[in-house]
Amino acid sequence: MKKAGSATDPLWYKDAILYELHVRTFQDSNGDGIGDFPGLISRLDYLQDLGVTCLWLLPFFPSPLRDDGYDIADYTSVNPTYGTIDDFKSFLAAAHQRNMQVLIELVINHTSDQHPWFKAARNAPPGSPERDFYVWSDTDQLYKGVPIIFSDTEKSNWTWDDTAKAFYWHRFFSHQPDLNFDNPAVMEEVLKAMRFWLDLGVDGLRLDAIPYLVERDGTTCESLPETHAIIRRLRAAIDAEYTNRFTLAEANQWPPEVRPYFGNGDECHMAFHFPLMPRIYMALRQEDRLPITDIMAQTPPIPDSCQWGLFLRNHDELTLEMVTSDERDYMYFAYSADPRMRVNSGIRRRLAPLLDNNRQRIQLLNSILLSFPGTPILYYGDEIGMGDNIYLGDRNAVRTPMQWNSDRNAGFSTANPARLSFPVVMDPVYGYQSVNVESELADQSSLLHWTRNMIALRKLFQVFGRGTLEFLSPDNRKVLAYLRHYDPASPSREATATGTARVTSPNTETILCVANLSRFAQPVSLDLEEFSGMIPVEMLGYVPFPVITDQPYPLTLAPYSFFWLELQSTAGRAS
Amino acid sequence: MASSPINTASASPESDMPAESSLLVHLTAVSPESLEPALSNLALAFPNQSFRVAIPDIAPNLTSAHTFNTLRLVPYTPPAPSTTFWVLTAADYFNTYRLAQEHNASACLLLGADSHTLSPESIRNLASATLSHNSDLVVSHYHPGPHEGLLNSAILYPVTRALFCAHPRFPLALDLGVSLRMAERLATQAQRFTAANQEDALLWPVSEASVAGYTITETDVPRRSAPPPATTELNALLALIAGSLFSDIDTKASFWQRARNTIPPRALEIGAAPTEPLDVKAMLESFHLAYSNLHEIWALVLPPHTLLGLKRLSVMPQEAFRMADSLWARIVYDFILAYRLRTINRGHLLGALTPLYLAWVASHLILVHSGIPPERHIEELALAFETDKPYLVSRWRWPDRFNP
Repeated sequence: MKKAGSATDPLWYKDAILYELHVRTFQDSNGDGIGDFPGLISRLDYLQDLGVTCLWLLPFFPSPLRDDGYDIADYTSVNPTYGTIDDFKSFLAAAHQRNMQVLIELVINHTSDQHPWFKAARNAPPGSPERDFYVWSDTDQLYKGVPIIFSDTEKSNWTWDDTAKAFYWHRFFSHQPDLNFDNPAVMEEVLKAMRFWLDLGVDGLRLDAIPYLVERDGTTCESLPETHAIIRRLRAAIDAEYTNRFTLAEANQWPPEVRPYFGNGDECHMAFHFPLMPRIYMALRQEDRLPITDIMAQTPPIPDSCQWGLFLRNHDELTLEMVTSDERDYMYFAYSADPRMRVNSGIRRRLAPLLDNNRQRIQLLNSILLSFPGTPILYYGDEIGMGDNIYLGDRNAVRTPMQWNSDRNAGFSTANPARLSFPVVMDPVYGYQSVNVESELADQSSLLHWTRNMIALRKLFQVFGRGTLEFLSPDNRKVLAYLRHYDPASPSREATATGTARVTSPNTETILCVANLSRFAQPVSLDLEEFSGMIPVEMLGYVPFPVITDQPYPLTLAPYSFFWLELQSTAGRAS
Repeated sequence: MASSPINTASASPESDMPAESSLLVHLTAVSPESLEPALSNLALAFPNQSFRVAIPDIAPNLTSAHTFNTLRLVPYTPPAPSTTFWVLTAADYFNTYRLAQEHNASACLLLGADSHTLSPESIRNLASATLSHNSDLVVSHYHPGPHEGLLNSAILYPVTRALFCAHPRFPLALDLGVSLRMAERLATQAQRFTAANQEDALLWPVSEASVAGYTITETDVPRRSAPPPATTELNALLALIAGSLFSDIDTKASFWQRARNTIPPRALEIGAAPTEPLDVKAMLESFHLAYSNLHEIWALVLPPHTLLGLKRLSVMPQEAFRMADSLWARIVYDFILAYRLRTINRGHLLGALTPLYLAWVASHLILVHSGIPPERHIEELALAFETDKPYLVSRWRWPDRFNP
């Protein structure tokens, strides 16, 4: 039976706070050293208390786990080490009961080489329906020049299969053969898998590696028109059969190239803004707002029903594909002194270690994440400042177990520590004895409490998820200043009024955000003339600042500090 | 909305009826013995107009039905039954909208228990305001004695006024007029509770109307006897009412933190001086006992400055006992915040509020018996809540324990 989604507002994903986690490393309930759904259910109260509203689960399907679950061997069941399909249903119901939505992965570019489809394909004769589920060639010269994504591991996008006596195509690891979307049967199977999870009541689907679905010779095999046609078919099926669900595109591309993934509001509801993330780190290290303002200037408008997904860190490396080679070198020098911190084209470190565990820097970057136009995505453990383990292979440095308390295995599992899927972090700075949820809950001044308060504050104002963005240009480039504005009555972002009227019309929200990217105190004068007569009210403490006049508005910012100021009309203030 | 239809049957003949009003009157709780007087007052209120009167679960075998030929009785079996009669409940709002839909009503009057004590004039005023097209919510303004309705005066009125910028003096009034869209909105809220078998849950129509941007008006109801609450145990009553209000505040935080209108000063009635003797001894004893026993719990909820204020209060003699309005406002605001944060078990939290409330009541009554008109003090208190609203907003947004 088809279950309804849990959200009531069709645009709920714009106001959401996403929290990315891996069932495998979040909480183990049965002492086998591997996280599971019953364990996750037991931690839902924590997540609800944190204030996140949508849980993004990394792949939890049957898999050989050679790519952390992105090598799927069965699309419609649960990896037995994490639980059963009934456990998943219980989790989904428990999350919905707490008003939290659930986003899962739809990994359709490729499967595991252990998937029954691939096993059948390699044994089937060329041209047969089974064989056609994947992309085969007698030569590895087809699609020449297409970039290799996992360049540290793979030397070619083609791998010879002795059984099939042919090369098969893979954009990622060689054990992840790409599905052949030129075969209509593949699309039908993908739709079946999608419906399976949506019928259970899942609220969202992250479309993994979505630019690579279709291959054509003489192209980069990325973002082809045929790929967009497939996305539109998925979206049409969702719109026709379900309500209040959403899709999130993983397209690691420049903003103008990601823009087509929104289509005319008929492709993906959301897409990650990949290039913004490294530039936030770059701006911080260079103490210069230019990298941020520059990439946002290159970001085209998107349809009103669409949204950017913003993040500081995730389960992969801090990807540096969307920067110039000079910028990449700078980032390596700035953030990965030890070569072991690097993998592929990126840096495999968590948020806190990237920022030298500096609380002010962590807060500053989170303030940008929470106030920029888009839906913020937190990576599990970053809310308590968890560290990483660069001695683990691949990107597993940032996939260590959640640190709940200072007990054995950080409270993640009661198993013999040697049995854990990944060891818990034990170094003197970030080790679970000092960095854990229990101690931060007890410490009113902890990063966890700060994060919880900031999330709660953001949720009070729809402007953060739905409003327009406008940068100010003060002379001091160490200061990033921008206005967010939302008028619920406006038919679209583009049609939103500008000027003083936008603040005084009813129900509008106008917020001035000012961030000091420097390690030293900074003065700044802002041109706020159009808001003359308004009062900026500091939002965290509800503190009124001096009235804005037609003169430059002076502010002084402490090192790495930020202000969120709500512009209020003087007439309406209660006190 | 649940789809079960309301079981209704017409009790009066269709013929010889004057023009029928689009107003539906819903007597949400009426006992068999008070039905006739209630209908009699309704008939007197509108001698030349016919309208429907919905009555739950009462057979229309009235001895003098002919007397009420302008009334078209609509007995019905409530799809959402409520066992609480002293206040309007989720079930009442849910049933009202269902009835309004079934009978194509454009507006409804909800008259609570003991509605037979409402004068025809009061009913007429309520109905006129409801049908005026300018009002989505018409709230009764009662005139209780100096010793009555004090929970409303101490918490419900000042908090609702300050947070939701709404003027009704009785946010939990027992007699209301609602437009069809207001009835629908309330029914939608009510359904959240009725679907969870919480038919007796309280709703807060004033804050609901404020959030929706609907028009709210007040109508004078000079006389009306209030039905006794289900329990006379103050702890339980305060927990029920304040708990419901605090939950509602939590739900609507994104609205009230941005609501900044100020309420114009109310024209105050002087009212009669209290005739009852002043007896606050038990209240003060309760407060003093709690000051020794509950201090540790209060310390979890209240900041040092407030605790200092309570310490000073605890050593005041009865003659000089006076709780400052701003102290009470901050106490209530800090309890609202602690309720949201679940600083301690919510039941225990509200229990710890009771002796503080009694201290406020004692202080208020001492003041009133000294010659200060009660309404003047209530208005001053409401102003103190408005003045200190930024305190609640800042505490809400940054609930750090390290505060003044």
